[in-house]
Amino acid sequence: MAHPIVTLRAYGDGLRLIIRPNLSITEIEEAIQQELARMNPPLSETSVQIDMRAPVLTDKELERLKTKLQKTYNLQTREVASPDETAAPVVVAAPATHTISQTLMLSHNESSEQSRIVPQTIRSGQTEDFPQGSLIIYGDVNQGAEVRAGGDVIVLGALRGSAHAGTNGRLSAVVIAMELVPLHLQIGNYINPPLLGQKSRGYPEIAHIGSKDIIVVERFVKF
Amino acid sequence: MGKVIVVTSGKGGVGKTTSTANLGTALALIGKTVAVVDADVGLRNLDVVMGLESRIIYTSMDVIEKQCELQKALVRDRRVEGLMLLAASQKNDKDDIQPEQMKSICQRLTVNYDFVLVDSPAGIERGFQNAAAGAEEAIIVTTPDVSAIRDADRIIGLLQNARVEPINLVLNRFSPDLVKSGNMLDKSDVLDILNIELLGIIPEDEAVIASTNRGIPLVHSTSSSAAQAYMRIARRLSGQQIPIPDLHAKNFFSGIMEWFSRKR
Ligand SMILES: Nc1ncnc2c1ncn2[C@@H]1O[C@H](COP(=O)(O)OP(=O)(O)OP(=O)(O)O)[C@@H](O)[C@H]1O
Ligand SMILES: [Mg+2]
Repeated sequence: MAHPIVTLRAYGDGLRLIIRPNLSITEIEEAIQQELARMNPPLSETSVQIDMRAPVLTDKELERLKTKLQKTYNLQTREVASPDETAAPVVVAAPATHTISQTLMLSHNESSEQSRIVPQTIRSGQTEDFPQGSLIIYGDVNQGAEVRAGGDVIVLGALRGSAHAGTNGRLSAVVIAMELVPLHLQIGNYINPPLLGQKSRGYPEIAHIGSKDIIVVERFVKF
Repeated sequence: MGKVIVVTSGKGGVGKTTSTANLGTALALIGKTVAVVDADVGLRNLDVVMGLESRIIYTSMDVIEKQCELQKALVRDRRVEGLMLLAASQKNDKDDIQPEQMKSICQRLTVNYDFVLVDSPAGIERGFQNAAAGAEEAIIVTTPDVSAIRDADRIIGLLQNARVEPINLVLNRFSPDLVKSGNMLDKSDVLDILNIELLGIIPEDEAVIASTNRGIPLVHSTSSSAAQAYMRIARRLSGQQIPIPDLHAKNFFSGIMEWFSRKR
C-alpha cells in the first residue's frame, strides 16, 4: 500500500508533519490541506516539525511551505528534520493522528478498576469486552477481532484488529502492544482513522491521548 | 480406532477438496485405511476430483434416512487398497443434515478406518458445523492471501472453542517467486498471524488443475512437486517426523544473493 503523501503524527515533543519523498510542492500542499481538513476541531496555534526522509523540497519551496502553514493554518514550524539526519526515526508508516473531540467527564476512579487476563490470542470474529476495567491479553488480537475495555488495553503480542480503551470515558486510558498495528484504535471518544497496511516498528508502543487532544503513539518504555 | 480430521478453510476455493482427495489417497498409499467423507451437501465434488462420480449409488443422506447401511454406501477406490469415499447428496441442502447425524457417521467410520477425512464446505454456517461436528482434529487449508487468512483465523477460533485439537495448517498455492517479488505473504507472515502448527506447504502447480480435470489425484504419480508435498504431509499425519523443506524461487543465483544479503 502506498504511504500517504503527508502524515501528521504526534510525538512527545509535539506534532510532526511527515512528507513522503519525491513529490512536487503542489501535491504536498494539496495533501496538507486534505490532512488538516480532517482535523476536528481544527488544529491551530500549535507548532509542527517538518520531517522529510529524503530531499524533497528546495530551500525556496520549504520557505513557501512554512509561510503557508503559518498564514493559512496558523501553524508554526519548529524545525525541519534534515534528510541526512541518520537518527531520525522511521515514521512514514506510523499511525496518523486524528481527533474527534468532545469534552468528557473523567468518570472513573482508576484504583477501583479491576483487570481481566485473557490467556490466548483473540481471533477474527471474536470479541473481548470488559467494561469493569483493564484487559491484558497474553497473545495477539488479530484482524477482525475486537477488544474493548473500560480501562486500559494491554496486548502482550501484536494488536492487528480493533482496540477501544476507556469505553467508560476515562480519557487517561492507554493502549499498549508489543506490535501496535491496529486497524481501528479508539480511546474514550477519540478515534484514529482506519489504518491499513501498517508495518510493525519492532518495539512496543503506547497510544494515549496527548496534551494536544489527539491520540499519540510513541515507543513504550515504562509506565 | 481411527481418528476424524476435518479439512476446512472458511474461504471457498482454496483447495480443501483437492487436499482431502490427495491426503486420503496418499495415506492409503502408505498403508493406512482411509474413509474420505464429502460434507459439501448440495455441491458435492470430492467424488469428481477422485474420479469416482460414476460409481456412486448411495450418499450420506441415504445412510441418515436409513435407506442403506453405512458400509454399503461407501465407494471403494480401486486404484489403491484401503480407500473409501462417502459421497454427499446433491439433491439435498446442508440444512437437511444435523451435526449430530454427521458426528454419528464419522464415529462409526473410525471403527474400521485409521483416518476419516471430512471435506468441509466453505463458510462458517451449517455445512461447516456439520463437517466439524465429529472431528477430533482439523486441517486448515489456506492460500497466502489476507482474505483467506482472515477466514482461516475465524475458523480456528471456532474450532478451538469446540475443543478440536490439534489444528494444523496446510499452506496451499504457495509461490516462492511471488514472495520474492514482494507480491505474496511469506510462510512466516502467515504463521505469525495464525499461530498454529504448519503441516506442509503445497506449491502453486499446474499439475493440480490437470489432475482435478482427469479425476486422478496427483499423488498417484510422484513426479509433481505438489504430489511430493502431499506425500510428505501424509507421512507427518501418520506420525513420522519429516522436515518441511523451504520452497525456493526458481533462480539459483538470486537465491545465493539473497542468502548473502541475509547474512549481513
Ligand atoms: N496447489 C494448487 N495449484 C494450482 N491450482 C490449485 C492448487 N490447489 C487447488 N487448485 C485449484 O483451485 C481450484 C479450487 O480447488 P478446490 O476445489 O480443492 O477448493 P475448495 O476449497 O474445495 O473449494 P470449495 O470451497 O468450492 O469447496 C481447483 O480448480 C483446483 O484445481
Ligand atoms: Mg470443495
